[in-house]
Amino acid sequence: MLLAFTQLGFSSILALVILGIILGMVAYSIYFERKIAGWVQDRYGPNRVGLPTLVGDLLPEKYGKFHFWGLGQPIADGLKFFLKEDIIPSHVDKPLFLIAPCVSLIVALIGFVVIPWGGQVAIFGQVFNVQVANPDIGLLYILGVGSMGVYGVVLGGWASNNKYSVYGAVRATAQMLSYEIPMGVAIMCVVLTCGQVRLEEIMASQVAGWNVWNLFYHPVAFIILWITMFAETNRTPFDLAECEQELVGGFHTEYSAMKFAMFFLAEYAHMITGCAFLAVLFCGGWDPIPFVRIPLFRPEDTGIIAMLAKMAVLFGKVAFFMFMYMWVRWTVPRFRFDQLMRVAWKGLIPASLGVLAVAIAGLYLGLHRTLWFTLPGNVAVVLVSLWVMSRAKDPVSGREANLPPLTRSPELGVQA
Amino acid sequence: MTGGLVYLLYVLFAVGGIALYLAMPRTQGAHAKAGLVIGGGAVAGLLALCAQVYMAPHGSNIFYYIFAGVALLAAGRVVTHPNPTYSAVYFALVVLSVAVLLVMQRAEFLAVALVIIYAGAILVTYAFVIMLAQQSGGGSSADQRAREPMLAIIASFVVMGTIAGRVSDLRELPNSPVEVQATADVMDVPLADTPVKDAGNTLSVGRTMFNQYVVVVQLAGLLLLVAMVGAIAVSRKRIPADEHGPPPPPPGEIGRTVPPF
Repeated sequence: MLLAFTQLGFSSILALVILGIILGMVAYSIYFERKIAGWVQDRYGPNRVGLPTLVGDLLPEKYGKFHFWGLGQPIADGLKFFLKEDIIPSHVDKPLFLIAPCVSLIVALIGFVVIPWGGQVAIFGQVFNVQVANPDIGLLYILGVGSMGVYGVVLGGWASNNKYSVYGAVRATAQMLSYEIPMGVAIMCVVLTCGQVRLEEIMASQVAGWNVWNLFYHPVAFIILWITMFAETNRTPFDLAECEQELVGGFHTEYSAMKFAMFFLAEYAHMITGCAFLAVLFCGGWDPIPFVRIPLFRPEDTGIIAMLAKMAVLFGKVAFFMFMYMWVRWTVPRFRFDQLMRVAWKGLIPASLGVLAVAIAGLYLGLHRTLWFTLPGNVAVVLVSLWVMSRAKDPVSGREANLPPLTRSPELGVQA
Repeated sequence: MTGGLVYLLYVLFAVGGIALYLAMPRTQGAHAKAGLVIGGGAVAGLLALCAQVYMAPHGSNIFYYIFAGVALLAAGRVVTHPNPTYSAVYFALVVLSVAVLLVMQRAEFLAVALVIIYAGAILVTYAFVIMLAQQSGGGSSADQRAREPMLAIIASFVVMGTIAGRVSDLRELPNSPVEVQATADVMDVPLADTPVKDAGNTLSVGRTMFNQYVVVVQLAGLLLLVAMVGAIAVSRKRIPADEHGPPPPPPGEIGRTVPPF
């Protein structure tokens, strides 16, 4: 007798599959991170480690030694993490020191369950949601899990009993608390536009009618959410928690071998979930092209091939956003901490409240799903922000405020 | 709950109070292990009593007992652990366990709100303060002993016992959004015309909050705003350059110099 195939069974299989995909993506995003770093800095990046089973060596001699672009590097990295000595320094608070990486990893790996990966699929006449769980609170669940993510950093930093680590933890906390606010407000714009907190329904409202993604209703909210995603995942330019120049390694200074790898894994898994979240909220999830209906990608296409195609599109978007993460990381320098706080409290929060006001006005007037109302509203928010910012005369930092004004010295040839 | 069982409930509370008293952090003569064992027994007894009396609505659900037990024991550790950081972590465990219990009562929105607000924001702020205030290796033992444990335990357990003894009578609580919706209908609250059956948890909570309790919501928002303005007003203080230290050196040849800090 076959196993009764229910949504629960389907969800269990899907959870395992997606988890496998995410872990694989984590390994290869570390590879691509190093490759992209190489390209940005005009180097090759990792290109020595071939794939296992020595395929490169079996080729005829005249092709030379072929290394498959260093694709074996993630495997070598993983092996190295397993084989290195795992040091627990004697001065740490052992229970919390051991728990912290686990908390990080667990929290990063449970976020993906509410993401709708591919609409609906019909198998033997039964229709399943391609989503591990579809609770009534999908969006809030991701917010809640994301806000738990800082625990790993905080506990690890504190338990390390090391001033650099504690500084890293404290910075991560302050940063997370500050960037949760614009993040939540930007997400509220989507909730108001779609009238739903269930991710499945948010997806459905984006592929209904004219196929307008939320990105086109509220581009400013999208950009704000994107920026806060960088901060939430502690990525450059917001990676003050692990700022090498000042804090050695930040919260993970004392961690080695597999425990360090778990922090690493957690960071990348968190990024992947965040990218999927961003794609579903604003960029139409599994819908490949806005404003156009493509056969295979309609909500009513429930074949297995359609499901795989939809999942491929969503993962393509995830890959694109991951690439953006890396591109930004190797292009934009890190903020100073007061700049980081200023961006959040004086830049992102007022701007996101402005977009929220536009969304609320649209909802009140019944125009929340009309492009000619929300788009000019967003442009107006941008213009007002630019005008206010251009008139702001804040000192860059407290130290600079205390400096005397810049004087010009004629003998050096500086002209007034 | 019938007469005799209520007294059993009170006895369990008394045992729990004694256990907590024994487990309270002290600098000398601690009985933490004994306290924890007795406390675990009291929690187990309480859960067994619950299982005996309330078979419905979750009498057969093992997860209810697991998470209720975890929540109670972790709550005990919050007050008895000598290290404030561990107390914060145990508090996070309490919040998460209670969130699970709320999910089991089909109050998903409340559960997630609890996690986001308590575990995500407030508790992290606590941890922040604790980390800054108390670095390990400090000389004071002030954090490692309880002050007035006896009075605090007597007061809190009397209050808890009273509430529990009263609440144990109220068995007919509405425990699903649909029933909450039904009560709202009876109270003649204007509701939109969508069928009640499809109303999700978030929708129901939102409707209740912004129809029945809209003034309360507004007042709470106002209160928070006032508190925020007050906090900013208290913390904001301009320090003139002179109070900082010696005046900065005159600018050098190129322009200005920034001394290393």
